[in-house]
Amino acid sequence: MELPVLNETPAASAGGCSSHSCGSSDDQLGHLSDEIRAKVENHPCYSEDAHHYFARMHVAVAPACNIQCHYCNRKYDCSNESRPGVVSELLTPDQAVKKTMAVAATIPQMTVLGIAGPGDPLANPDRTFETFRRLSEDAPDIKLCVSTNGLALPESVEELSKHNIDHVTITINCVDPEIGAQIYPWIFWENKRIKGVEGARILIEQQQKGLEMLVAKGILVKVNSVMIPGINDKHLAEVSKIVKTKGAFLHNVMPLIAEAEHGTFFGVMGQRGPTQDELMDLQDACSGDMNMMRHCRQCRADAVGLLGEDRGDEFTLDKIEEMEIDYQSAMVKRKVIHEAIAEEMHSKRAKKDEAAAKHAEAKKLDTRPVLMAIATSGQGVINQHFGHAKEFLIYEASPNGVRFMSHRKTDLYCSGDDTCGDGESVLQRTIRALEGCEVVLCSKIGYEPWDMLEKAGIQPNGEHAMEPIEEAVMAVYEEMAAAGKLDDAEGRIRATA
Amino acid sequence: MALKIINTCVNCYACEPLCPSKAIYKAEAHFLINPRKCTECDGDYDTPQCATICPIEGAILDAKGMEINPPGSLTGIPPEKMAEAMAALQAH
Repeated sequence: MELPVLNETPAASAGGCSSHSCGSSDDQLGHLSDEIRAKVENHPCYSEDAHHYFARMHVAVAPACNIQCHYCNRKYDCSNESRPGVVSELLTPDQAVKKTMAVAATIPQMTVLGIAGPGDPLANPDRTFETFRRLSEDAPDIKLCVSTNGLALPESVEELSKHNIDHVTITINCVDPEIGAQIYPWIFWENKRIKGVEGARILIEQQQKGLEMLVAKGILVKVNSVMIPGINDKHLAEVSKIVKTKGAFLHNVMPLIAEAEHGTFFGVMGQRGPTQDELMDLQDACSGDMNMMRHCRQCRADAVGLLGEDRGDEFTLDKIEEMEIDYQSAMVKRKVIHEAIAEEMHSKRAKKDEAAAKHAEAKKLDTRPVLMAIATSGQGVINQHFGHAKEFLIYEASPNGVRFMSHRKTDLYCSGDDTCGDGESVLQRTIRALEGCEVVLCSKIGYEPWDMLEKAGIQPNGEHAMEPIEEAVMAVYEEMAAAGKLDDAEGRIRATA
Repeated sequence: MALKIINTCVNCYACEPLCPSKAIYKAEAHFLINPRKCTECDGDYDTPQCATICPIEGAILDAKGMEINPPGSLTGIPPEKMAEAMAALQAH
């Protein structure tokens, strides 16, 4: 008895199924047309697969904003924090271009340069577009992308389409102005500060208009939404449906980050973020209508490197000043490395597709789903020591197969010293982050954490070290089924979507 | 008659391009307003543009030294709630 790997089902166009929900819960890139798939396959922010191989970077050139969000505090910057909107070094377009080329030459896997704030890139059109214009001329092998709140989007679409823009991300948290008024206290519009429902209505109209204009120009649009329990959580499935209808190709629902010490409205007023379960349930609810993105790391606005890592310290202003960059020869080297990576990805994917096709007709179990946590440092294999993992990938095994669900950080949003926490040990925090999982797969694990995990009802497993993740998850699920551990119909976790 | 930017400014650049009198300039610590050039946008806009886009409560003062965006007016956070949260943070 073997199980298919859902995330790896072939593209809809290749599989002969025109439905976007072909493969039911395939929430990665399986539904996309070949054309879009080719465009996104080396983009770390699009696929869980690509992000193990390709790196991205952000440059912070756009400090001004034209709206206020209740989850943002413009004063905030802590060097120990890693989260969106937080940045340590504001760059001029000149510095941004230099930094980008320095990183691209040093980290050849870097394929994507994004401008995402702090602030709104399109509220800083001079700085943003000068950076884009120069990079599309001097470094044509770098894909450019931009994130925006959408208020100034319609007037920017023409200019965006002139550059090497790969995709635009619009943050859309609602399509209902009454809900919007609970998220956005004001916008700056036509030289006035407009508060409440009226401001939210204008913002929503601009976002939707901008989305339609980008799609009409053939520019890929990803939609980000921040899930805010009690405010837009019930509403986001509707948002997902609408943006999908209008042509957005990917939806990324992210959890609200709100701590009192961030000084945001939501933080100070005690608005809670969603639990892991609530987030996964909402992502499932949206995925019926939309490709969902589940591997987002909510990175800093100036992060550099592979997702989940930040090599920004190697490229501070004083360091890049001293670097001599020969971009022409760097481009030659980059091309060779990109082709080698693409080849490796293709051969791995082909193997998985073949296995999935073979398993497609396998007899189905009637056992309950199980969540498993994986310690990995990349390349799709179980290759990390439990104690070294700063994050775990969460997979669900069920009679329908294996699918990637999310990642969970063990040092939630703060890598500062332990004294700023609530006295919990690192191990206790890790175990709490793995709540709901029944198994942890890692390359090795020490005696003490083994014991504590077992006491918490999570079975550690080091027997599948260096094996591909999906195959190992499948094997462990089968063992659990054979041992009769999955017979209780209720299960201890949420039912499959 | 001139507005003033004080040291709580976070240097976000939002005000500078909006000023119809080109009175706002980047200085060593934060943006400043040249009082000889500032017209408080009189004749150009209904409200002074710098104070209309500024996201930081209390960062811009009017000619009398009063905060144009007093605490709570932009974020919606009641000042006492903010003080409470910050006090708890400092006690930590």
